[in-house]
Amino acid sequence: MTRWSENLVGALALIAPVCAFTKPIAFANGTTVMLEYGAGTMWEAQIFYAPQYNYSVGGGHVEFDSDITPETVRITYARLNYLLHRWNLESAQANVFVWGGAGAATGNTFSGTELTGNAGAQADYETRRVYASLKTDLQKANAFNIRVDTLQLGIAPYKHDYNQIATWFVVQARQYTDDIHHGTEVAALLRLFKGGAWIEAGITNGGKLQAMAMFNF
Amino acid sequence: MTPHRILLIAFLSLVPMMLRAATIEMHVNGLVCAFCAQGIEKKLRKFPATADVVVSLEQHLVAVALKDGEDIPDTELRKALTNAGYTVTAIERSDTSIEAIRSRLGQQKP
Repeated sequence: MTRWSENLVGALALIAPVCAFTKPIAFANGTTVMLEYGAGTMWEAQIFYAPQYNYSVGGGHVEFDSDITPETVRITYARLNYLLHRWNLESAQANVFVWGGAGAATGNTFSGTELTGNAGAQADYETRRVYASLKTDLQKANAFNIRVDTLQLGIAPYKHDYNQIATWFVVQARQYTDDIHHGTEVAALLRLFKGGAWIEAGITNGGKLQAMAMFNF
Repeated sequence: MTPHRILLIAFLSLVPMMLRAATIEMHVNGLVCAFCAQGIEKKLRKFPATADVVVSLEQHLVAVALKDGEDIPDTELRKALTNAGYTVTAIERSDTSIEAIRSRLGQQKP
């Protein structure tokens, strides 16, 4: 990751206001912008527009910077997100999302630009006090095969209502393939959201910053 | 036509407007996150008949205050909530003012 991009994402994560779990689709005719700084090994920016409540289209840019090898990969991609199923319960909601796309990658372990494929899925469950989310995201090309698996468990100290600030304490466990990071990276996060703005930030077991900002409008 | 008859016709023509509901209350499933529920308010405020919108996660409730003499069909309301990603379980009309609903919910006008 370049120093300017690291500084930009770090600064945005600190100044932006931080919600239960991120969703690639907000609501019909809604736009979602997401920025994530992943403890020095990954950062990602995404923008999606949802013509309907069950799918969104857009794209993103992700950079991986291995903390084991000198490998650096930068991928810019277009993607379609699809809400496979939603369960709207009286006091809970659960979702299954899938996505797929294609892009172009550059890196320091291969020459030129490589065509990439992207695929992923997310399952989540949320009440006003607890939530759980499991996500897997694969970026594949001839030169690399990077999959990021993320588990999040959250608890809210109080039940927020509409127009109130929501507070969540979140534990995140993440694994990378392709020697981006060795073992499971665990982070303790504080998540805050109100209106269309969401920010979360915390520290990993390696002492690094993990942060995300998301905006719906 | 006598003046009395004209007045009677004018009065009777106003009766349906006077009987129209002031608010529509919808009970909604899946309403757990304020961040995700913004789509509801955004959709409902686009109806020309909407004067105000109140959302309560605690009561699983979405209330729409109507402009005088106007209404929104149930089918349009259900469509708006479905497009926001939620499930409507009941729709009720009443003369309760939106301020009274806010007060009942313990909310203040933003």
